[in-house]
Amino acid sequence: MQNLDINSKQIDNIKKITSEEKNFRIKNLELFKTAGFPNKRLEDWKFSDFSNIISNNFNKLDAKSVSSNVNKINFLKDFEHNYIILVNGNLHSSNFDYEKINKIKILPYDKNTNYRISKNPMICLNHALAENGYSLEIDENYKFKKVLVIYNFFTPDVNNKILNNKNKIKIGKNSELHVIEYTENQSKFKFINNSYEDIILEKNSKLRNLYIQGRKSNGFFHKYIKSKLFYNSNYLNFIFSSGLKFNKLDIDCDLEEEKCTCNILSALFLNKNEHQEIKTSVNHLAPNCKSYQKIKNVLSSDSKGIFQGKVYVKANAQKTDAYQLSKAILLNDNAEFNSKPELEIYADDVKCTHGSASGSLDENSLHYLMTRGLNREDSTKLLTKGFLNDIVEFIKSPSIKEFVKNKLEDQLNGH
Amino acid sequence: MLKIKNLQASINKKLILKGLNLNIKEGELHAIMGPNGSGKSTLANVLSGKSGYEISGELKFQGENLKEISVEERARKGIFLAFQYPLEIPGVNTNNFLKTSLNSVRKAKGEKELDALAFLKLVKEKSSELGIDEKILSRQLNVGFSGGEKKKNEILQMKILNPNFSILDETDSGLDIDALKIIAQGVNTSRDKKKSFLVITHYQRLLDYIKPDFVHVLSEGRIVKTGCSELAQELEKTGYQKLN
Ligand SMILES: Nc1ncnc2c1ncn2[C@@H]1O[C@H](COP(=O)(O)OP(=O)(O)OP(=O)(O)O)[C@@H](O)[C@H]1O
Ligand SMILES: [Mg+2]
Repeated sequence: MQNLDINSKQIDNIKKITSEEKNFRIKNLELFKTAGFPNKRLEDWKFSDFSNIISNNFNKLDAKSVSSNVNKINFLKDFEHNYIILVNGNLHSSNFDYEKINKIKILPYDKNTNYRISKNPMICLNHALAENGYSLEIDENYKFKKVLVIYNFFTPDVNNKILNNKNKIKIGKNSELHVIEYTENQSKFKFINNSYEDIILEKNSKLRNLYIQGRKSNGFFHKYIKSKLFYNSNYLNFIFSSGLKFNKLDIDCDLEEEKCTCNILSALFLNKNEHQEIKTSVNHLAPNCKSYQKIKNVLSSDSKGIFQGKVYVKANAQKTDAYQLSKAILLNDNAEFNSKPELEIYADDVKCTHGSASGSLDENSLHYLMTRGLNREDSTKLLTKGFLNDIVEFIKSPSIKEFVKNKLEDQLNGH
Repeated sequence: MLKIKNLQASINKKLILKGLNLNIKEGELHAIMGPNGSGKSTLANVLSGKSGYEISGELKFQGENLKEISVEERARKGIFLAFQYPLEIPGVNTNNFLKTSLNSVRKAKGEKELDALAFLKLVKEKSSELGIDEKILSRQLNVGFSGGEKKKNEILQMKILNPNFSILDETDSGLDIDALKIIAQGVNTSRDKKKSFLVITHYQRLLDYIKPDFVHVLSEGRIVKTGCSELAQELEKTGYQKLN
């Protein structure tokens, strides 16, 4: 792209950084410049040619941060919650009125060194330029009373930008936190949000993370999550983020010690012009860990969905129990779903199951519903909802379950 | 009510119904018997409007050409099919489904939609008549239902939608004796001068409880014999062999 304004001047402008950090950033910028935006020749991007998608959608791009303020925030009213507000990736404010405040540490994220060099050009770009984000640390022995909503706002003036931010969540020993990451994009323009997130679960801790969108959006999102799980910790991801022009969520989860559990559950309804990829890498590095992944997609119009799921089992990770299933329904001949399951197993005493299926809605089921007076459209909607509800049913809290069901309903109705 | 003339139906290039004639008047109950694979369910599917069949001949329901009417329109006009193998629909709550179904039929008829309370009252009444444990109605539609529960659920839908032409495709198969009686009673209490039935069965036993006006034998895609209820008893003794 001719008008790609990404250069080292921006790194020079970052205040108060050590020379070590500066070198790290410059090195990553060089790596990004050499590679460019990832294209389909990279194995990890073979179904999402980001370079091509960007040149089809952007004439110019720069990476300078946008520091606009947000004037009105529509808080969710469906359930009581704590919140963190991010505006264009910047930590804006937070509220933990329901909790013991001394157990919680929330700060703008600033440390940006000591990361491994990545083969993913988007991560290199993030390492080079990320200035915003948050760091959330929960002390030991603290169980949150209410869910935490992270409002991820984008203001109306974000246009032709690539915003890089970095976040970190650390849950202390025996602690538990439930998060809903709620993206609300008020910009009608196109932009890219490129984030990097570190997640650390210490011994016996629990984290539930639910991703969902307020409404349809013109944003292009890439997010890489590196999670590290220690002894007997429990990590659960719900992904309901539909309605985005482009979204790639890349979850790279290390089960470092025994008895850890990692669950990744997703129900997505994709419509016109939407492109969504879930990429996972669940790495069993210790014995007696469990992982469970179930990804369900319904694709309508000319949407495109991708699931690239890898399960890696190290030689010493005996008694691993890993499950992975991807199911997709295509409602239209122009819709496309690609799935690439991958197992890499070096231990011998393990239980690994994986499967993947895609096809159109079952005509016999449609006919059954239609003989009861429902038209084809309503029958399709009912079957689609039924297919996706299977995932929603995993949500324990009744009010959050209801909230997600309503959002899914909105998505199915094209909102 | 229903007039079928020289009906031919094929699926995947295989001719299954080979010139079938049938005339059902208002208030009549017809039984169809016949060997496995003779085309009984195919006839039921064609009447329900299932896609995938190539059809020729005349199909008239209440004077209208059925071929031009979509599946859901047929349902709204009062055609009901109780399936031989009711489908399991995961993720769809049975009660919600029954309500959606009833209200779409009522709406089409220009009747007021039932609110949640009125609907629950109706379901309670009909399911207790049929000896259905209400608990299964809060489960996913037919998922994990026993064979008999599925069949009862079909008849419950019939009772709720109150159609004027019902096709029961082997609803009696797989039912225990008590359930059979209950279902037969369910059909009998629905019978009146305006309503017609087409009951597909393999067993004379059902026809002891539901008295048919006519019994037909369907064999290789044609009706080869028609008689009154005594024909069923005869078939029970002699089988279908002799008819050919
Ligand atoms: N989709 C299809 N493709 C090809 N052949 C079919 C198809 N559906 C049904 N048939 C065939 O049509 C014939 C009639 O089937 P049908 O289900 O109507 O029989 P039936 O009389 O209901 O039998 P049963 O008493 O066993 O229920 C059978 O030979 C069956 O194999
Ligand atoms: Mg049959």
